[in-house]
Amino acid sequence: MNEPLSKKIVLWSFVLAAILTLSAPTLVVLGASFTAGNIIAFPPQGLSLQWYAKISQATDLRNAFLRTLWVATVCTVIAIPVGTLAGIALAKYRVRFAKTLQIYLLLPFTIPLIGSGIGLMLVFGNAGVLGQLWPVGIACAVINLPFMIWAVTASAAGLDPDLELAAANCGAPPLQVFFSVTLPAVMPGVITGSLLMFILALNEFLVSLLLVDARIVTLPVQIYNSIRSIITPDLAAISVVFIACSALAIVLLDRLVGLEIFLKSK
Amino acid sequence: MPGSRTAYPFSWRVMDALEALAALIWPRGLSRATPYLMLLPAVLLVGILVYGLFQIGDASLRTLDTSTFLFSEDYSLANYRRAFTEPLFAAVAWRSLMAAVIVTAVTLIFAFPYAYLMVRTRSPGLRKVLLIALFLPFFIGQVVRAYGWLIILGNQGMVNEALGLVGIPPMRLIYNYPAVLFGLVQYMLPFAVLMLAPAMAAIPEELEAAAGSLGANWVRTFRHVVLPLARPGFIGAGVVVVTLSLTDFAVPAILGGGSQDFIANAIYDQFFRTSDQGMGATLALMLVALGSLVVGIVFAVFGAGTLGVEGRRR
Repeated sequence: MNEPLSKKIVLWSFVLAAILTLSAPTLVVLGASFTAGNIIAFPPQGLSLQWYAKISQATDLRNAFLRTLWVATVCTVIAIPVGTLAGIALAKYRVRFAKTLQIYLLLPFTIPLIGSGIGLMLVFGNAGVLGQLWPVGIACAVINLPFMIWAVTASAAGLDPDLELAAANCGAPPLQVFFSVTLPAVMPGVITGSLLMFILALNEFLVSLLLVDARIVTLPVQIYNSIRSIITPDLAAISVVFIACSALAIVLLDRLVGLEIFLKSK
Repeated sequence: MPGSRTAYPFSWRVMDALEALAALIWPRGLSRATPYLMLLPAVLLVGILVYGLFQIGDASLRTLDTSTFLFSEDYSLANYRRAFTEPLFAAVAWRSLMAAVIVTAVTLIFAFPYAYLMVRTRSPGLRKVLLIALFLPFFIGQVVRAYGWLIILGNQGMVNEALGLVGIPPMRLIYNYPAVLFGLVQYMLPFAVLMLAPAMAAIPEELEAAAGSLGANWVRTFRHVVLPLARPGFIGAGVVVVTLSLTDFAVPAILGGGSQDFIANAIYDQFFRTSDQGMGATLALMLVALGSLVVGIVFAVFGAGTLGVEGRRR
């Protein structure tokens, strides 16, 4: 189709402005991490890997990163079975009170993050488990659970109920039907959902900030605490870890299910 | 007999044992209840959150005794009275609400062409680039992104250094309201585009061609065909952006530098600076109510859009 030139110009000027705004912080952090100077300056003062060498020596940053990985792992390990089962149940069966249940399961979305974070802080505080890492993982699983359920229900279209009946007809007992027919059918959703859960937990800032104390800060909280005092390039180098994780997640998502899945109309 | 082991592999025995166990704990007769059993873990997990809301409610009714730093045993509405009368809280609430409205409007204006181009482009390569440009910041997290903006816009940041080279004195580009709004728009753009894109994809391209062949130029086609049909997407995106920016913490904290607090920052300060848990809980509960109110108003005025419970499934 021949598009009028004016339409092209208007569309593209908006889109280019959007791309520039979206990418600028990432590119700048990436660039700043390679600076040879002691401060972040423009024009850049030459290239070096000195800040990467420096952060590889910094045990506090490394520990914070390992803690963050642990939190994301706990979150994903909890969310996969819980979200998958709930997603399949909602998509496959006629459930009584389905609407009410759906609204209830969307609560983590509709309740503002600061509200959820404060609520979970009070619950875990009363239970006396604050100051450990696993409650942070559980908290991340709770607040992001709708993503997991959404991903699984969205891919449940690939699940033909007749296939399950056929398997049962061939003598497969319930668990075998579930593992060899139902689960593979919703696998794209499970993969999408668990990647989202992992990456969101890796980046989770506010809920981490509320639930951790000074001994167990996660990496986003550590970065937040440091940029409030002084901006040095080692923070840029450690931020590149997040950029790398994000890029990896995108590549995985694209290879395993294709990014276009997010463009499909429901 | 050779091969009898391979004929019935070990994994089958494991599956048999599991099936027997499953049949023992959950006999066939209960199969009607199976979906509820599958939903139970999710309901319990979200239950922690609901329990947390009740705890917030409980805490909000207790007032802090500033002489002993203890919380009152009996309930009172004193915190709510304070929240409604103190001008500080009203100023913070007004600032957040204004920001939510402005950010939503600006974000939707930029999200629409982006989603349109991404859905309509003939080139798979361009579509992929647009998707990656969207997901990369989405997956990087707020703190790192805000840090990038500090490097660019800070007092000794790139923009000011570049301006200095041509002899313009440094300007204060961060720690003000526009900087917070800008950071929020950048943060919200991926959310908005991802909510809009499916609604755009559902509009048949032939409709645009038909409008064109009837003599409408592209502006009129957009106004009378594409925008009205994309309305559910706009509502979904609008609701998400309005609530997320209304309740945001990191962007006002980092790009506002403490001078541009939103409601979430005020709540945090009540808990961790003033140590007035009761007041903080009151504000948190009021924010939950305010967020629900905003969503309710949008739904009442515009309909539920793509977020409707009906539309959400299949």
